[in-house]
Amino acid sequence: MNTLARKLIAKDFYLNRWLIIGSTVAGLVSLLIAAEGKVRFNIGMLSWLTTLVAFGVVLVMLSIGNERKERTLQFILSLPLSHGDYVRIKVVGLLLCFLGPWAILSAGAVTLIAVMPNLADGLLPFAVLLCGFFLANYSVVLCGALHTATEGLITILIIVTNMNVTLFIFMVGALPSLNDHLHDPAPAWNSTFWTVLGAELATLVITLSLPYFVAARRRDFN
Amino acid sequence: MFDSELSIHCIHSMYSGINISQTDARPMYLQIMEQIRARIVAGDWAAGKELPSIRALAAALSVSVITIKRAYLDLENEGVIVTRHGKGSFVAEVNGLAAELQEEKIDEHLAAAAGLGQQLGLTPEELADRLRRAIRNVDRK
Amino acid sequence: MTQTKHIEMRNVRKAFRFFTLEDLSLDLEPGQIMGFVGPNGAGKSTTIRLLTGLLAPDAGEIRVLGHAMPAAQTLAKRDIGFVSDDMRLFGHATLGWHMQFVASIYPGWDEQYARTLVRRFNLRPQQNVSGLSSGEHAKAVLLLALARRPRLLILDEPTSGLDPVARHELLGEFMDVLRDEDRSILFSSHNTVDVERISDRITFIDRGRLVDSSDKEDFLERWRRIHLQLPAGVALPELPHVVSRVQDGLFVTLTTNRFSPDLISFLGAGVREVQRMSLEEIFVANVMHHRETRGL
Repeated sequence: MNTLARKLIAKDFYLNRWLIIGSTVAGLVSLLIAAEGKVRFNIGMLSWLTTLVAFGVVLVMLSIGNERKERTLQFILSLPLSHGDYVRIKVVGLLLCFLGPWAILSAGAVTLIAVMPNLADGLLPFAVLLCGFFLANYSVVLCGALHTATEGLITILIIVTNMNVTLFIFMVGALPSLNDHLHDPAPAWNSTFWTVLGAELATLVITLSLPYFVAARRRDFN
Repeated sequence: MFDSELSIHCIHSMYSGINISQTDARPMYLQIMEQIRARIVAGDWAAGKELPSIRALAAALSVSVITIKRAYLDLENEGVIVTRHGKGSFVAEVNGLAAELQEEKIDEHLAAAAGLGQQLGLTPEELADRLRRAIRNVDRK
Repeated sequence: MTQTKHIEMRNVRKAFRFFTLEDLSLDLEPGQIMGFVGPNGAGKSTTIRLLTGLLAPDAGEIRVLGHAMPAAQTLAKRDIGFVSDDMRLFGHATLGWHMQFVASIYPGWDEQYARTLVRRFNLRPQQNVSGLSSGEHAKAVLLLALARRPRLLILDEPTSGLDPVARHELLGEFMDVLRDEDRSILFSSHNTVDVERISDRITFIDRGRLVDSSDKEDFLERWRRIHLQLPAGVALPELPHVVSRVQDGLFVTLTTNRFSPDLISFLGAGVREVQRMSLEEIFVANVMHHRETRGL
């Protein structure tokens, strides 16, 4: 089973290689643009944000939605594995596919803020939370896609979680204990920060373990 | 490793004459029996010669194993072939088998002619006349 | 090992919103080919999905290669080659990639045989799957299954959409599989000519129910069409095993599913002709009769 799992995860990497590389490059380029400050900062950060969100969405849509639609799922399920195996392999594989670019682009953004003199370090806690949000958001979409049977529901899920990005930025960003310190020279790792981070972590754990208990138990794959 | 391409070619060259048609009205097993009998009668398949295994012939002709089995079974019941358990099937070593089969064939044809003659309302003399005419035609050729 | 049946289905039931598979029982011995025939929507694909673990039965038992399905499907699928006509390979990878992918998973992969099949099916390993025509794609999927030399092949409409040459090649490959008496094939098909030719056993299914399952030669021997010309004023009595009866004046055509010479002697001089039936004719007559008796 282990060999098969490794091969299927490697397959997901292989089939999505251009998406992974392209998104990483696009994200890094966005950060470089953002580094030039002022207006370019806004443009760069916006496209960095879009890259991260779009990457996650497309990754899930291609690997799960398409697999179902394109009937390659039947081919995979003809291999010596159970439904539970498939779900578990998918969770691990797609998480790993996302993690690489996410880690690089998050580190890049955090580094940018810490290094650039014209960007207040007070921005750091919010930036970290935003990066954490993207990971949590991705795992929600991943979890949703593994549990829904229809393409329509996946699309709705993606639209909803995308709206969340805007909501997050405005709501969490507006929280006084965060907002007040955005322009401070030093980062304020206060309790609000830790609470939000905790919520993101909890979301991650729940959405990544749910498939193991629910989707893996599914008996019919039509 | 089993070199499928080479052995299929070999088998085809051995039994390439045997052809089963699905558009023929006669069932497949009868066609097979006839073609095997014909080869035995002609002497192509000599007495004692080993027949292809049921599965090998099935694969060579792309015909189900069960059909080949049936053909072999019926040929054995007729005494045309002999099956030795675990060893395979062989053309029966019976003297004059070929001649016997030929005579069976003549009787078959004559019976069919007699039946037709009756349907057409021919008398035995008229039928005999036609037979003599046919023999003369064959002699001329 | 040779004694275990390759497929055992006992009273299997699977219910969907608009369709139910009911009381289905099926057996496949090693060394046999079973042709699975039924009208569209009869439940062939559902049955095959139950056999390959894609669906779980609501009732009844399924054993494939001795393994309970779908519980032990991981073990079972090591030795099953499953191909369905709506199965797709990964479009953005080449056939060669798929070949090395499957080869790395299954120890039984025969590289030489695989290359022979590539030549025989006229495929190119370096070509992207998305560039294959539907016929080439079908051949590619079959190649991947055949080259593994699995003990059991389960094929859902394997020759649909293939040109006559490809079909002929494929039937040859299937019969080649049967050289080994430990291997078997179950295939569903609308092509009754092919089914008639290579099947050892045939199962008819209609509207979720088993209609008939028997040896092919048995079917071909049992079914006949009898053409009669009745003397004027004579009525034909009710006869057992007469599945259909069509009368046109003095001319009657009977279809029987239990032919015996006694029947002919009984019918006497009125018999004009006794015809064997092709598998397609048997299939249609059998399904019609089944629908009548069940009031469907």
